[in-house]
Amino acid sequence: MTIRNQAAIVGIGRTEFSKNSGRSTLRMALETILDALDDAGLRPSDVDGVVKMSANRDIDEVELARALGLQNLRFFAEVPYGGGSGCGTVGVAASAVATEMAEVVVTFRSLNERSERRFGESSVGGGVGGWNAYYAPHGLVTPAQWMAIFGRRYLHEFDHDTDAFGMVTVLARKHAATNPHAMMYQRPITIEDHRKAEWIAEPLRLLDCCLDTDGACAAIVTSAARAKTCKSTPAYVTAATQGTGSRPEVMTAWQRDSIAHLEETDSAARELYRIAGMNPEDIDVLLVYDHFTPMVLMTIESYGFAARGQAPSRYREGYFELDGRVPLNPHGGHLGEGYIHGFNHIHEAVSQLRGNAANQVAGSPKTALVSSAGGVPTSSLILSLEAR
Amino acid sequence: MSDEPAPRPFPQRDRDTTPFWEAQDKHELRFQRCTGCGSVRYRVTPLCPNCHSFDHEWIASSGRGHVYSYTVVRRQTHPAFPVPYTVALAEMEEGPRVAAQVRGHDGGEIALGAPVHVEWEDHPKQSLPVFVLD
Repeated sequence: MTIRNQAAIVGIGRTEFSKNSGRSTLRMALETILDALDDAGLRPSDVDGVVKMSANRDIDEVELARALGLQNLRFFAEVPYGGGSGCGTVGVAASAVATEMAEVVVTFRSLNERSERRFGESSVGGGVGGWNAYYAPHGLVTPAQWMAIFGRRYLHEFDHDTDAFGMVTVLARKHAATNPHAMMYQRPITIEDHRKAEWIAEPLRLLDCCLDTDGACAAIVTSAARAKTCKSTPAYVTAATQGTGSRPEVMTAWQRDSIAHLEETDSAARELYRIAGMNPEDIDVLLVYDHFTPMVLMTIESYGFAARGQAPSRYREGYFELDGRVPLNPHGGHLGEGYIHGFNHIHEAVSQLRGNAANQVAGSPKTALVSSAGGVPTSSLILSLEAR
Repeated sequence: MSDEPAPRPFPQRDRDTTPFWEAQDKHELRFQRCTGCGSVRYRVTPLCPNCHSFDHEWIASSGRGHVYSYTVVRRQTHPAFPVPYTVALAEMEEGPRVAAQVRGHDGGEIALGAPVHVEWEDHPKQSLPVFVLD
């Protein structure tokens, strides 16, 4: 048995994306879970599983169960590694329903990343253990700084200038500009804006970094059989995987032969396509985790949409536009819509398959590939309209 | 001593890493070398990932390497680290790539591959290497 098409996302929900939600992460998680259940035609009493990102340790599974009035939660699990874990929660949920350890599993991400703890402001203090003991004392304390080390190698090895990064943000903001849910709705930028943007950690500028967002998204996973009884159009989990590659580290896997590509993501890509029995040519819409622009280029290459170092050329060709060969982040992603730690990408993938996205791509997409963060242990999904 | 406005984060030692950090307090950058297969490994870990021997010795780095990558940090994100400052990832002669600040760097471009050597800074809780461009 494989995981292929054994499970489906049958419900999605989201809050508004803002700079200050004015409410707790638990409250927002509950709002989106209720919306997602309603979307599926399910009730809270149907829920018997929860899989969450370890980044949401602020929300206890039992607090969700208590608030939702559940009689019993028979499957609960947590997927580690921050932005790398979003797709992994859906994968774990799919494996739970495929093995009948649960039937209706809630996955979600809820964060007040703008109004409470911002990831770009380090709170590391005193003694630092683990991997970061080797970096924080030297002043490498934020994701932008760690990712800059990879980004510099990408520019160097493939002889690009920072316009290669800028194109990523220009396209994301173009898409966000026509998405009313986006924080950057009607606020496109030009490559010149990127060139003038302030440095954060060279070679990364402010416009290479994702937005800071308060908000939440949820997705309900159930079995393919149960999905047929739901009121929504199922998005089948055609493949799900996680990946570390060799010599993995949390955000500093710098001991590899090359760090101008992402071995975690390369490994996940091979496994994802194997499970799905698909190739890049079979993918209709692409959702790439865009915390920092260099990682977008490398992720595109890992999943086979450009040769190594050639993703910038694809951007120039229009390959990732809404009417291009494989539209990329039609919602505007973390750079334009909001930063819900990859979960708004899952929401967008399902919306595109259903045909009701704000920036609906041409040609009725039947498959969507969603990648969680690059530069960390990662995960990914292929979602399909048809369970073949 | 530097005149930092706030205490730096410092390494929390554990039973595996204590010899590594203690050596840094004596101004020695050291790596583990497997006494089974001879491979050098970094960061510190109890088991050789190549031959799975727990037996290892500590070898002193020459302190020489070259810049593999670097960042100039220009947005302050931590009270202990006023900007701008430069952190390089240097590939040492023994193979491991080590991160440390580049002393006296003015924020200009550094050619990748530029040779560096290690010098030392003493901080209240831990001495740390810095790189100096040769």
